[in-house]
Amino acid sequence: MLQFKLVLLGDSSVGKSSIVNRFVKDSFDEFRESTIGAAFLSQTVTIKDSDANGNEAQEVTVKFEIWDTAGQERYKSLAPMYYRNANAALVVYDITQADSLEKARSWVQELKNKVDDDSLVIYLVGNKIDLATDDDKDKREVEENVAKTYAEENGLLFSEVSAKNGQGIQQVFRSIAEKLYDIRKKQDATNNININSSAQRGNGPVDIHLQRPSTNDSTSCCS
Amino acid sequence: MLSPERRTSMAERRPSFANFSGNSNHIDTLMVPHLAGIEDPLPETTPEKVDVLIAGTGLVESVLAAALAWQGSTVLHVDTNDYYGDSAATLTVDQIKNWVNRVNNNDIISYNNAKLYLSTSIGPSCKYMSKDFGIDLSPKILFAKSDLLSILVKSRVHQYLEFQSLSTFHTYENDSFEKLTNTKQDIFTDQNLSLMTKRNLMKFLKFVLNWEEMPEIWQPYADKSITQFLFEKFKLEKPQVFELVFSIGLCCSVDTKVPLALHRIRRYLISYDVYGPFPVLYSKYGGAGEVSQGFCRSAAVAGATYKLNEKLYSYNPTTQVATFTDGSKVTVTEKIIMSPTQAPEGNQHIPDQKYEVNRMVCLVEKDCKEWFSEDESAAVVVFPPGSLKSGNKHVVQTLILGAGSECCPQNTSIWYLSTIESGVRAEMDLDAALEALEVSIVRESSSDITDNNDIVKIDEDGRPIINSVRLGQSFKEYIPRESVQHLMKLSYTQYTSTPPFDVVNPALFDNDELNNRANSVNKFIPNASDNGIIYTAMPSSEISYDEVVTAAKVLYEKIVGSDDDFFDVDFEDEDNDTVPQGASVNGTISYENAIDDDDDEDVDMGIRGDDSNEFVGQMEI
Repeated sequence: MLQFKLVLLGDSSVGKSSIVNRFVKDSFDEFRESTIGAAFLSQTVTIKDSDANGNEAQEVTVKFEIWDTAGQERYKSLAPMYYRNANAALVVYDITQADSLEKARSWVQELKNKVDDDSLVIYLVGNKIDLATDDDKDKREVEENVAKTYAEENGLLFSEVSAKNGQGIQQVFRSIAEKLYDIRKKQDATNNININSSAQRGNGPVDIHLQRPSTNDSTSCCS
Repeated sequence: MLSPERRTSMAERRPSFANFSGNSNHIDTLMVPHLAGIEDPLPETTPEKVDVLIAGTGLVESVLAAALAWQGSTVLHVDTNDYYGDSAATLTVDQIKNWVNRVNNNDIISYNNAKLYLSTSIGPSCKYMSKDFGIDLSPKILFAKSDLLSILVKSRVHQYLEFQSLSTFHTYENDSFEKLTNTKQDIFTDQNLSLMTKRNLMKFLKFVLNWEEMPEIWQPYADKSITQFLFEKFKLEKPQVFELVFSIGLCCSVDTKVPLALHRIRRYLISYDVYGPFPVLYSKYGGAGEVSQGFCRSAAVAGATYKLNEKLYSYNPTTQVATFTDGSKVTVTEKIIMSPTQAPEGNQHIPDQKYEVNRMVCLVEKDCKEWFSEDESAAVVVFPPGSLKSGNKHVVQTLILGAGSECCPQNTSIWYLSTIESGVRAEMDLDAALEALEVSIVRESSSDITDNNDIVKIDEDGRPIINSVRLGQSFKEYIPRESVQHLMKLSYTQYTSTPPFDVVNPALFDNDELNNRANSVNKFIPNASDNGIIYTAMPSSEISYDEVVTAAKVLYEKIVGSDDDFFDVDFEDEDNDTVPQGASVNGTISYENAIDDDDDEDVDMGIRGDDSNEFVGQMEI
């Protein structure tokens, strides 16, 4: 199983946590793990490996370690630890608040400063589309095209969602999983490593686990 | 002190708890911690009123913040810096530059005499970047069996961190490094030890594991020095005594009292083999700075509010209002805990900082692999009293970290030296130790080159290095021309209220007892900006984390009234076959130790006995 760290960013009250909450609650799979008291949320996504040769598609399980800001973003007080080794970032804005996209842009900038990894996947998400239905278009303050253009210019994935009714949520995480899987596959092809034997890369010192990963992490030991 | 009826904890206040608590049949009440932001939207603005204000995100303050937040107190945790860690921070080279300037402008209380040399190879578009390095202001190692480690596990803060092992402890003697003889096997195979010495050493090692139960052996020596005790009672010889006292015990002088030294020697031995064949660990990417960040994040998850770049202007203990320099205000109903580094202008209550720690940090362009065990990237080197050219009275302790620690780039290493010696003598001792390290690493790394049988080698810059012919087995007199490239050299003096190799005196935290006229420090001073504030002690000279939890607990008890529920967090998972509720992490654990008498050679990663599996270590293979 492949494991990736995903961080959430965006202004307070744009619905970062609701998106994750919706994703975790709506997901059903046998790898569902306990989240209570966990340092971060863990959730798996199953994707199909699109084989270039048209061979039979294989199922791949991707596990996200989702780090919430825990409110530390409010006064720009996120610790370096938060960004470290992040593989993906979900940058959220609220389509009913024009300035929240501006804030999202500054978070993208912050990310690019803090995370050196060029392969970091950034997904820009416009939340709360349930508030701007056909009957109530006035509430929308950020046009989809504006955000989309910005995302394309900056190499970000983009979509609009509703954490409230679940619209588009699963797809966000699936896309991130697919993109990350793709990147990992290419890296491993370059380095000539089998994608499934990715437990310890490089020959550095071995990490010591302070607690046997009991219920939380039965897989990380010998995967 | 809080009201006698206990405040509901964060877990109890959650709706899911209420659902269960009505059901008396439900014995295994789910203690579900608050997942900040995941379940409930967080409050929008700074709280107007908090139970506790903590200033400074150093180690003790961060552990305290997390303990209080999980207990259910509302905590506002601020720091004047734009980074986490305060006196325990892990800094980049640029941050160090800035820090040195502030120290020399007297902007940071508790530090002075900062000196910095910086090579031109670090900087934008240079060979190394400032952020390639993570430099600890207060470097620490973590014993595998220690109170901080239990709390890291219990609080799950360890999940935010990555740890690596450190098994190599060198004792410097007679101009060379002796690797530590610390396992039974080492003792038996060591050709240099006489049979008698071996027997005496084994006798002592068996004794020290249970020394407290054998007062008849050590009581007569209770006020004597450990060296005298080892020489007289166990007939050990100087090299073994020095190893035991300075490398295993990490004591500071030959005069260390017997009980303290025995405690410290035992600490090493019981930590050995808890997670594998090594006694200590260190955290990757930075030591104390990372651990502080982890506890701050944990506190935030439990509901604490974080604000960097925030400096207290004053506190009025009568109205309980704390005012910050940016004009914001907060009412603090219980206590303000503050690191001296964060003190407001016009402070008059900072406790005496009688003790000095002199530190030196070098970034060196050498990987120093020669000092590390295989697959490790760290080592401790100890210079016992009298072992250096400077005739050092106190020990110089050195922590070496290589690139594997992710604190520095490939082919470089960080050397942390420290001593409790003061003034000019401290500088002389640190310089002498640095020189000894340089000579040693150049000698050891050069012997590799001569193995290639090439007389002339070309270095990276195209200069030929001429190797001298092997000088027999010993290279002691051989000092190659090659020298050690310093990328950075930093030295500074830090002051603390905690005595060397001891824990904080709880009386230090009595500043808020304003009616206590006995001690002038504690009195209400009309124009002081910090009446009623409790100051923390600053990190001590201790190289391990061992004093941190003690200090945090004393403060916790002062605020909550008792330390019974200090980190009493019970993350009951869906899977119920984990630790039974109430199982003590600190329970008696019979450990598998390399010094145990039985000839058990199997590598048992875990520890035996006890019904708790919380402590079982595991190595990722």
